[in-house]
Amino acid sequence: MRMLRNLARRRLRTGLTILGITIGIWALVVFGSMANRINDMVDKGSAFYDSGAVTVWGGGGSMPKSNPVDVAIADRIASLEGVDVVVPGVSMNISDDTAGMSMGLPPMITGEVAGSDKGRMAMVLRAASGRLLAAADEGSNVTVLGCDLARQYGKRAGDTIALRGEDFQVVGVLEPTLTQPDNSAMVPLAAAQRLYLSTLPSLVTANLTASKVVTSFTVYPRPGTSSEAIAAEIKAADPELGTMTPSDFTRLAGSYAAMLNAVLVGIGLISVVVGGLSVVNTMAMAIAERTREIGIKRAIGASRARIVREVVAESALIGCIGGTIGLFLGALIVTLANDAGRSSGTILFELTAGTAATALAFSTLLGALAGFVPALHAARLDPVAALRYE
Amino acid sequence: MALLEGRNLRKTYRLSRRNTLQALCGVDVSIEPGEIVAIMGPSGSGKSTLMHILGLLHAPDSNHGPRPELSFNGRDMVALGEGERTRIRAREMGFVFQDFNLVPTLTAVENVMLACDYAGVGGHKARQAALEALGLVGLSERADHRPAELSGGEQQRVAIARALVNRPSLVLADEPTGNLDSARSEEVLGLLRRLNREHGQTFVLVTHDPEVGQACDRIVHMRDGRIRDGRSGAAAAATQGTRLLR
Ligand SMILES: Nc1ncnc2c1ncn2[C@@H]1O[C@H](COP(=O)(O)OP(=O)(O)O)[C@@H](O)[C@H]1O
Ligand SMILES: [Mg+2]
Repeated sequence: MRMLRNLARRRLRTGLTILGITIGIWALVVFGSMANRINDMVDKGSAFYDSGAVTVWGGGGSMPKSNPVDVAIADRIASLEGVDVVVPGVSMNISDDTAGMSMGLPPMITGEVAGSDKGRMAMVLRAASGRLLAAADEGSNVTVLGCDLARQYGKRAGDTIALRGEDFQVVGVLEPTLTQPDNSAMVPLAAAQRLYLSTLPSLVTANLTASKVVTSFTVYPRPGTSSEAIAAEIKAADPELGTMTPSDFTRLAGSYAAMLNAVLVGIGLISVVVGGLSVVNTMAMAIAERTREIGIKRAIGASRARIVREVVAESALIGCIGGTIGLFLGALIVTLANDAGRSSGTILFELTAGTAATALAFSTLLGALAGFVPALHAARLDPVAALRYE
Repeated sequence: MALLEGRNLRKTYRLSRRNTLQALCGVDVSIEPGEIVAIMGPSGSGKSTLMHILGLLHAPDSNHGPRPELSFNGRDMVALGEGERTRIRAREMGFVFQDFNLVPTLTAVENVMLACDYAGVGGHKARQAALEALGLVGLSERADHRPAELSGGEQQRVAIARALVNRPSLVLADEPTGNLDSARSEEVLGLLRRLNREHGQTFVLVTHDPEVGQACDRIVHMRDGRIRDGRSGAAAAATQGTRLLR
C-alpha cells in the first residue's frame, strides 16, 4: 500500500518506467514464444527419426535436395547389409511461389505408397476427419491434408483441391503433429511422381518416365544396425547420394534452432535491459527527490538495510507490474497472431507456462536489481546532509 | 548521574581542499534526566552541529586535541558503530527538526508508527501507541490526515508525537518552533513544557526565541563553536527548584 502511494507520487514518470519494462517483457514473451515454437518443431521433427530412419536423396551434399533419382536405386539400397525397409518418396513445394514465403514449415506435396514403410515410421499420423491414404489409392487423385494446410485452403474431407494444376479429392485431414505433416498434402506415389515431373524443365524430363522418378528414399535399418553405418554404406555404394541420419538432423536442426533462439531471446533480453535501465533512472530520481525524507527516516532510526529494502521493494514492484502487463500484452499478441496465422497455416508462437513464469520472475528480479544501486546510494546518505538537502 | 554527558566535543567541516571550518571548538555539556534545556546563540554558532553529535547523527572529531567523550545513559557512545548508533536513535532518542519532519505520503498516525517500526514495535501495538502519542499532543482527530492537510503547528505536533512514541529518555529538538508564528510556537512550547512536567521527559531544544529560553530550566549559550557560560543564575536557581520539588 505504502509502496503504491510512493509510486503514485510521480504518476507520469512511474507510468513511463512501467511502460519500459512492459515493452521489454512483451518482447521477451513474444520472442520467447517464437523460440518455443521453433524448439517444438525441431523436437517433433526429430521424433520422425526415432526409428533410426536415414533419409537419402540424389545429388549429394548435407542438406536434402529435390533432385530426380531413379527409383531402381531403392532395390540396390535394399540389398545392402543391415537395411530393413526402403521407402521411395517424392516431395516438392506445393507451388513454385510459396517456397520462400513461409516462416514456419514450407507447404509441401509428398507422395509415398501408403504402408510401404511396413509400420516402421515413428511418427504416428491420425486422421482428424475422413481417413488416411491406403495402398489401394495408388492410381487415383486423392489426398490427405495436414491440418494447417487444410485450414489455409479452407478444405475439408470430401472437398476437391487443385494441386499443381490437377484436381484431387480430399479424403481426410490429419490431426495436428506440430511439424511438417501439418503443412503437407499427402498424395499417392504415382500422383506425386506425375506432379513432380511437371515441375521439372522439359529438357530434363525428355528422357524421364514419371513412374521411375522419385526424390528421396527413407531407409530403415535392421535392429542392431546403426543409422550411421547404413548411411556410410549407402554413400560408399553411390557417392552421388546424400544421406541424413538422426544425429545429422539433430545437429543441423539443433544448431539452426539454437542460433535462432539466441537471436530471438537476445532481442527480448535487450529490450528488457533497456527497460531495466529506465528503472535505475527512475529510482535514482525518486531517491534524489526524497533525500530529505530518507534523512528523516535515518535520523529517527531507520537502519541502512531498511532503506535499501524499501527502495529495492519499490523498484521490484515497478518491475513486477511492468512484467505482468507485458506478459498479458504478449499473451494477447501471441494468441491473436496464432489465430490469424492458423488460417494461413503458420503457427509461429507457443507461449508456455515456463516462459510466462520466467518473464514474471525476471521482470521482478530485474526491477529489484535496478533498484539496488540507487538503494545503496540512498542508504549511504549522511542523514544530516540529507536533512539539509533542498 | 547525567543522562547525557559530552566532553571535548569538536567538529571541523572541510569546506574545500584548503579551507576547513571549526564549527565546534571543544564543548563540554551535561544534561540531567528530567531537564528541559535550551541551546541558544547566533546563527552559525554551532548549535545544530552540537545537536547532531548529541543525537548520534555525527561523531565528534577525535584528532588534534583531547579525546572526545560522549556518554548516554552511562554508555560510551564514541566507539559505537553506525548500526548501534541507529538502534539507539530508534529506541532511546526522539528527534524534532525545524521543518519537513514528516513523510508526505504517510498519514499522521503512520508517520508516528514509523518510529515504532524502527524501534521494533509493529502491528496493532504500534498503532495503539501512535494514537496514544497523537492524543498526547491533541491530534487524535487528525490521525488519518496527510501532512499536506495539516497546519505547520499541527505538523510539528505530529513530529513531537513521533519523537515521544517510544518513550525515549531524551528528545532533541532543533528549532522546533523556528517556522511557526508566535501563537503556534507558544502552543508547541507549552506542549513540551507540559510533557516535561507531567512525564519528566528530558528535552534539549535549540531556539532563537528568548521567551522560549526563559521557559526552560536552563539555557546553554553558544557563540563561535563554544559554550559561553554554563547556566544563567535565574535558570540555574529554577532548575535547583524543580529538582528539589521532585
Ligand atoms: N555540512 C557542513 N559543511 C560545512 N559547513 C557546515 C556544515 N554544517 C554546518 N556548517 C557550518 O558550521 C557552522 C555551524 O553551523 P550550525 O551548527 O548549523 O550552526 P547553527 O545551528 O548554530 O546555526 C556554520 O558556520 C555553518 O555554516
Ligand atoms: Mg541550526
